[in-house]
Amino acid sequence: MNEAVIRLEKVTKDYPMGEMIVHALRGIDLKIAAGEFIVLLGPSGSGKTTTLNLIGGLDNITSGQVIVQGEDIAQYKDKALTRYRREKVGFVFQFFNLIPTLTARENVAFALALLDGKTRDLEKRAQELLEMVGIGDRADHFPSQLSGGEQQRVAIARSLANRPPFMLCDEPTGNLDVETGRSVLQVMRDLNRKEGTTVILVTHNTAIAPMADRVVRLHSGTIKEIGINSEPAPVSALEW
Amino acid sequence: MNKILFKKTLRDMKISWAQSLALAVIIALGIAGLVSMAGAYRDLSSSYNYAYDTLHFADVDFSLQAAPSGIVEKIAHLDGVSAVTGRIIMDTGFDLPSGEPIRARCIGLPTQHQPAVDSLYIREGRYLQPGDKNAVLLESHFAQYYHLHPGDTITPIVNGKRTTMKVVGIASSPEYLVVSRSKQDVLPSPRTFVVLFVPLSQVQKTFSLADKVNDIIIIVKPGADRKAVIVSAQKLLEPYGVTATTRREHQPSNEALGLDLAGFKETAYLIPAFMFFVAAIAVYIMLSRTVHAQQPQIGLMKALGYSDSAVMLHYLTFALAIGVVGTVLGIAMGQPLASAITKVYAGTLGIPLVKTNLYVDLWAKGTLLMFVFLIGGGLGPARSSAKMPPATAMRFDPSAALVKGRTSIVEKLIPLPFWFRLPVRDVFRVRRRSLSTALGIIFSITLVLLGMAFLDSMNTLLHSEFTDIERWDMSALFSIPTNDAVLQQVRSWDGVKQAEPHMEIPSTLKANNKSQNVILYAMKPNTAMHPLHLVGKTNAQSVALSGRKIVLTNYMAQKIGVKEGDIVQVTTPFGVWNFQVGGLAKEYISAVAYISLDEAQKLAGAPIFNALYLKVDPNQQVMIKRKLYHLPGTANVQIKEGMQKDWDQFMGLYDAFVGIIFLFAVVLAFTLLFNTMTVSVLERQREYATMRAIGASGGRISWLMAMESVILWMLTLVPGLLLGWLVSYYAMSTFNSDLFVFYLTIKPMSYVLTSVGILVVMLLSALPAIRHVNRLNLAEAIKIIT
Ligand SMILES: Nc1ncnc2c1ncn2[C@@H]1O[C@H](COP(=O)(O)OP(=O)(O)O)[C@@H](O)[C@H]1O
Ligand SMILES: [Mg+2]
Repeated sequence: MNEAVIRLEKVTKDYPMGEMIVHALRGIDLKIAAGEFIVLLGPSGSGKTTTLNLIGGLDNITSGQVIVQGEDIAQYKDKALTRYRREKVGFVFQFFNLIPTLTARENVAFALALLDGKTRDLEKRAQELLEMVGIGDRADHFPSQLSGGEQQRVAIARSLANRPPFMLCDEPTGNLDVETGRSVLQVMRDLNRKEGTTVILVTHNTAIAPMADRVVRLHSGTIKEIGINSEPAPVSALEW
Repeated sequence: MNKILFKKTLRDMKISWAQSLALAVIIALGIAGLVSMAGAYRDLSSSYNYAYDTLHFADVDFSLQAAPSGIVEKIAHLDGVSAVTGRIIMDTGFDLPSGEPIRARCIGLPTQHQPAVDSLYIREGRYLQPGDKNAVLLESHFAQYYHLHPGDTITPIVNGKRTTMKVVGIASSPEYLVVSRSKQDVLPSPRTFVVLFVPLSQVQKTFSLADKVNDIIIIVKPGADRKAVIVSAQKLLEPYGVTATTRREHQPSNEALGLDLAGFKETAYLIPAFMFFVAAIAVYIMLSRTVHAQQPQIGLMKALGYSDSAVMLHYLTFALAIGVVGTVLGIAMGQPLASAITKVYAGTLGIPLVKTNLYVDLWAKGTLLMFVFLIGGGLGPARSSAKMPPATAMRFDPSAALVKGRTSIVEKLIPLPFWFRLPVRDVFRVRRRSLSTALGIIFSITLVLLGMAFLDSMNTLLHSEFTDIERWDMSALFSIPTNDAVLQQVRSWDGVKQAEPHMEIPSTLKANNKSQNVILYAMKPNTAMHPLHLVGKTNAQSVALSGRKIVLTNYMAQKIGVKEGDIVQVTTPFGVWNFQVGGLAKEYISAVAYISLDEAQKLAGAPIFNALYLKVDPNQQVMIKRKLYHLPGTANVQIKEGMQKDWDQFMGLYDAFVGIIFLFAVVLAFTLLFNTMTVSVLERQREYATMRAIGASGGRISWLMAMESVILWMLTLVPGLLLGWLVSYYAMSTFNSDLFVFYLTIKPMSYVLTSVGILVVMLLSALPAIRHVNRLNLAEAIKIIT
């Protein structure tokens, strides 16, 4: 295996809930190599989202380390975290989270504009990204005028703006029908294979697992099992 | 669903306490404004009546030449008379310690007991006693103004002689709640008029009126026919020369109070009503937006098994809780404020007996009305959310749901740089949000401008009245017609730079079956002592004031329904004539009218006058005033500087109101903006969190929000200022009375200050929300409920 580009060491995460403390993660150790396609699998409440958010720098860690490209991002302050998210990470959320007042193209352009501050050619570059995920023809539509699958693809295009080394997807197909879900997964797979992007995909849907290089099974905040698919299945073969 | 999630829902549902508090404050301000101002108005009128009842205010006052004391007994036996008192009233002079002469009125009263009619309220010292020698009870306004107390001595001029008198007490009289000498006294002031109550026997002796009275006051029995009582009394008194019969409603002090109260009435109801309306609308909008933004939580509640009615009950409880806190706070603030306003007002006017009450009906009305808006604002959106299938409601993004329509025209016309596009889009595409935010800003601008308008208008009034309108330094009024010889004499005095004759004649204007009492000034057509500010300027002053032409104030013209060119019937003590309206003048004193002196003298048939305007050397004012009082028949001499002081003091009352209104307006505006901005930001938590998640810095997001505020501000500025002007104009007109007219003045600087102030407050009030968004737990904020 290649040198680990992401390394979780003894990661725990607690949520105080009034009197109680919810132990969302109870000590996670995980190494992810560059270019891997990882599926985080587990029942609802097992800690998948929490894990993903910690890798993405969206939440504070309780203890342990999240070492990304040699740096412990758990130590980052707000400014460094913002930069980290902007430059290294592409997010795809279950509910798409597009900006409702911007068109598809502008949503992508927004992320592009954040990158270098240059606003020239923004729209052109955004258009290219939309075409990459196959919805170039819907560029001028607002999110409310797009179907779920289209919105998710816009979200993927947006997450690609920074050519991120890591793609973090939280239940990207959770709100999509099978057909649309498959097409979105195909985009991920292509990115992974063609661009070499490391993809970490969270799902509770076991049917998606076969497409991964490795499947990390979570249960009650711990890793129960890590499975390796020596021959990942093509997306077209997935059925749910 | 587990217990933790349920708890989380409850936690989410609690809107930030600051916002709930702000809503409660808005409600409180609306209620407090109503309760305090309307309450103060009621307190004042009840205080006046209380003072009148307690002190047996006369129903009718007969002034006589002189009658034997025995007549009092006869009047007492008349049918319908419940009480009667005979007195002697003599107007004399009084030299202030500065040497400045002022007017004094000596009233002789029985010493055995307080008079049965118009009795006195002893504030300090005691009432007169039999055997008192050179004792005097001082009217309280004067005593207060010059800091006099029992034990002090004063030296009024009685029957031409300076007489030293010892102050035995300080008293208030129902006849002098406003120390008005006569109806002509437009701005009564204790500075220049003193009322002295002295033993009747002493006055009788001094004025050689042994066992005589020259003033009889009566109280009519309740239910008795006052008119009949007056007629029979007049018959009895006829042999003794009745010079005036004054009914209670025309008694100068009572009339002045009445006018003042009438001016206050509209203000006391209208301005709070406007603020209440703003508060109510604000509450409705804010509450419905807040509840609207909680659709996901509502969806979850339903998923957890709550029924529609349980959901609605929850939000109803929430709205009512805010309402209860707000109204209780409002009443708690408003009621003491009402009493405080009453006390300050009554204190400034020198009203001796103040009665403050609790106005539960006002509380109830305010509360009831507010709750209509609260329930409407809280329940409407909760109901529509509750009707939604839980799954839809849970996935509902309050921000996305508001987006409607296409790209705005603005954008099509002007190609915007990318970073400006989003804020513009947010303003124009999310119309519902923008409209309600804009409404909040417009109301805020209106409220602040209203406050500014009051301040500016007051200042302008004071400034123009004494620099643009009254250009003389001193004026003298004579009780008998005077002639050229006197004028020449005055002109020859040291320090007199100019002297100009004019007439002041109490008159009645009639037109369209409406009549109004005014003081008719007959002035030289080209006078520079009191130039007329003619509206429209169709006629020059010298034309408007020539021949049978009359110049009316705008206010009077409106009251009797005439315009330039119309005919007005003018009734004077000397005759009735028709005049044509030659022009309308912008003046601050309402009840005046102007004609040409030449014409007046022609009608009088002699070159006479009864008043003088003087321009004098300021150092010799007091000296000149003394000399004027030594002329035959001098009734009153005014120094403009002194008048200005009186006005300032009088305006102090209005200032107190304006201050309160301004404070209310600013606090209300601030709270309104705080809530508007906060809701507007919080509605988009998820949107902002997403931006943060994909790498937008906190600064970038703050910039976007600030830009949006600036755009909204630019869009609302003109409508806000316009509405502000209109409301101010209307509010100002409610201050108008038969005494004074207020003109709306808003200085350019006030527009600038209001506009800039609102923008600054907008940006500042969005700060807490911005900080909140920038500190959001992104992990939580980007999901809705998962
Ligand atoms: N913000 C939060 N506050 C409290 N508890 C949380 C929060 N987020 C997640 N949890 C809890 O942490 C555990 C793991 O949650 P999560 O990572 O979202 O699970 P998954 O994504 O696998 O469904 C769950 O028990 C969940 O209830
Ligand atoms: Mg999850």
